[in-house]
Amino acid sequence: MIKREKKYLDIIKSGKKVKIAGVNSGGKLMHKLLDMGFIIGATIEVIREAPLFDPMELRIHNYNISLRKSEARLIEVSDI
Amino acid sequence: MKNIKVALAGQPNCGKSTIFNMLSGIDQHIANYPGVTVDKKTGRFKYDNHKIEMVDLPGTYSFSSYSLEERVAKGFIIDENPDVIVNVVDASNIKRHLYLTFQLLEIGMPVVIVLNMMDVAQRRGIIIDSQRISQLLGCKVIEASGAKGLGSKEIMEAIISTSQSTDKYEDFSINYEELEPHIKEVQDSIETTKLTLNKRWMAIKVLEGDTTIIEYLKKEFSLIEELAKTQVDKFHSIHDKDTASFLATFRYDSADIIYHKAVKDTNIGKETLTDKADKIILHRWLALPILFGIMFLIYELSIVGGYKLTDYTWPILAAVKNFVIDISPQAYLTDIPMMSDFAVWMINSANALINYVPIFFILFMLIAIMEDVGYMPRMAFILDRIFKKFGLHGQSTLPLVLGGAMVGGCAVPGVMATKGIADDRARMATILTVPYMNCLAKVPFYTLLLGAFFKPDMAIMMFFISTATIFTALIVAKIITSTFLKTRETAPFVMELPPYHLPTFKGVILSAAQRVWIYIYKVLTIVLAVAVVLFALLQFPGISSESQAAYDAELSKSLVAFDKRVKKSKYYEEVDEKDEIASLLNYYDSYRNKRMATTSKKGALAIDEDFKVSNESFFKFIKPSRDNEARIINKEIRKLAKVRNKILRNIKNEKVENSLLGLAGKAFEPVTKYAGFDWKINVAFLSSFAARESAVATLGSIYEDNKVESQRAEEAMAANSGYTPLHAVAIIIFMLLTPPCIATMIVVKMQTNSYKWMLFAIFFPITLGILASSAVFMLGTFYAWSGVEAMTYFYASIVVTALTIGLFPSKSINWRGGLRDV
Repeated sequence: MIKREKKYLDIIKSGKKVKIAGVNSGGKLMHKLLDMGFIIGATIEVIREAPLFDPMELRIHNYNISLRKSEARLIEVSDI
Repeated sequence: MKNIKVALAGQPNCGKSTIFNMLSGIDQHIANYPGVTVDKKTGRFKYDNHKIEMVDLPGTYSFSSYSLEERVAKGFIIDENPDVIVNVVDASNIKRHLYLTFQLLEIGMPVVIVLNMMDVAQRRGIIIDSQRISQLLGCKVIEASGAKGLGSKEIMEAIISTSQSTDKYEDFSINYEELEPHIKEVQDSIETTKLTLNKRWMAIKVLEGDTTIIEYLKKEFSLIEELAKTQVDKFHSIHDKDTASFLATFRYDSADIIYHKAVKDTNIGKETLTDKADKIILHRWLALPILFGIMFLIYELSIVGGYKLTDYTWPILAAVKNFVIDISPQAYLTDIPMMSDFAVWMINSANALINYVPIFFILFMLIAIMEDVGYMPRMAFILDRIFKKFGLHGQSTLPLVLGGAMVGGCAVPGVMATKGIADDRARMATILTVPYMNCLAKVPFYTLLLGAFFKPDMAIMMFFISTATIFTALIVAKIITSTFLKTRETAPFVMELPPYHLPTFKGVILSAAQRVWIYIYKVLTIVLAVAVVLFALLQFPGISSESQAAYDAELSKSLVAFDKRVKKSKYYEEVDEKDEIASLLNYYDSYRNKRMATTSKKGALAIDEDFKVSNESFFKFIKPSRDNEARIINKEIRKLAKVRNKILRNIKNEKVENSLLGLAGKAFEPVTKYAGFDWKINVAFLSSFAARESAVATLGSIYEDNKVESQRAEEAMAANSGYTPLHAVAIIIFMLLTPPCIATMIVVKMQTNSYKWMLFAIFFPITLGILASSAVFMLGTFYAWSGVEAMTYFYASIVVTALTIGLFPSKSINWRGGLRDV
């Protein structure tokens, strides 16, 4: 089997849907992300980037949320 | 009558405040939670023989201890032990909101769920079986719509019946499966606690690492932290799972079960109106123009429109002032009672601030609309990238705009609007940079200086002044976030973009009225207190007895001359006594002042009538028409009035010069002379700290020429001050950088909750201002720059600095660990 590279949320293109495979964070950010529904297995759709390319808008659990790319980089995702 | 204490909880954007407004009406009380700057709204009302006290908790996504709002909300539940928790849930976004519901149910207190925005949910094709949710969760579920005013009665009844059936209440608990043994272990160890809270809930919170609960329990169980850590580690080693994310996942799964059993979304995947609107509003090329358009509209409506409104409100304030003048003790020739001076000073200080109330009201209404509609977070989304560079936050946009980022505003509402910024470092930086924005009250001061020194270049200078502020603010933000605020906590930018909603009229008006009231109440009281101090500093020690004697002699001389010339008039008898002359002078001045304040012919006639009625014999001297005998007196009394005013002005100036504030102005001269400021400018800066408007008045009165009455303040200043345009530029730069007024500093104190930061907010900008203006003044003198040149160089240098910081890639250390003491 070919070992696949890990993929992170910040490079996902607008309009694509992915599944959360892991959150590489701790402390405050981790708790905040959990509270907002970033749990393993949840589906995320990338809606758009901000006009200045950062942050990005996502849809998770049927609501919209904005995340800076620096934080999106910590979220490991896999294709559906 | 029974008392019921209710806590209103819900996630942000669930429409909690519309439900709160619907239930409590306008009978609301706002205060801060002790020691923090989070609003605590309490509503008290009666329903069906029950007294209900409802507290609106801050909106929180969760009930852990990771944000100030969550700590406050939980603190309230623990300390106040409410009878019922009302959980407001956005029916159109039910799944995520149920996450909080499970956390509330776990607390072990009776919960009533309010499904708000049922109308929106229906429109979106979301069908909710509230009966089913009620059965599944064992609590009352009420369908409502705060915006439409539906469900009020049902909620009240649910609150009352829930509070009465505590005997039927059984503790709610989620089965956390593999975590259960660990929960049990912790629970057993705190079994003996005196806290009345649900022990299982506390045990779960301890395992979650909830600092608030751990602090409470630590008082009784000093080893609780170690115990929690052992259990968390044990759980991790057995199941390879992190407790916090395990619990979150479990709650989300539970919410998912409810969602699947009781909710049917017939439109899933379909585009909502919000999605369509966002395609335009957040469009890559359109977003910024739309944002600037909205900003411009807000500016036009509130600042420009509000200013027009003040044309109607100002006469009311002027009438109050005239009334105060009328009832104060009258002047006797050149002897003005201090009481009257003081009354005028106080009313002027108060009026200067109250004058802004119409502007604020419109402004606060528009902000409330933007908040309710849901544009605020979108604004943050669009601009975050720029602000992040300077240590600020997307949410800094609004405070900066209110402060006057676009031409003009007021720092007081600006600083107050920083409340919502989640990131502490960015919030502090915003609080400290908003005062650099263009304060509206500074504008007359700039106009005075520009009118005096930059007549042909006024437009370009005004452009420099109004756009320089945002660049200086960004530079200052960068400086303070990478120095003084470096160690402050920052929060991740994880922000919901809620669906758009129509605002409710009641909500908008209430929110605007509440904010205006805070402004009037908090700010005015303190400004008036400061005004008293400033008045004293300007009055004492007063003028010396020698100069008083000299002024008296001057007046006597004029009185003698007056007497000699009016002797030939047949009315001489009416003005042959000093007392009579004194009253006639007051009568004449009062008439002149009132006539100058009216522009309409009708008003002028009415004033004439009033004065005629009050004293017919004096009136003929003021309006002698064809009566030649009266004309003589008219001419002479005018002359005398002029002399008196000149003497009064000289006395005032001498008083200011000798006063404590004048001495302070002189004491600062050795420092300020490098910027070209003499003591008069220093006094103007010092005395206008209560309200910047008074800077113009102070300078005006110092520079007024005594000979030509009709000369305007700017002409007088250009002619009499001996300043060059370069001086004016230095003064303008200093004014740009100094904090607007004491009122702003008070709200800085309110928002930072610290006097230390308030002092910083005063002295840091002043230092910066004196350095910048000295640098410009000295370089300008050395290279013989013209005023416009000096301003251009100053402007160019700050723009270049800001752009350099903005474009320079920011690299910060974001790793930690490794060997200590390498």
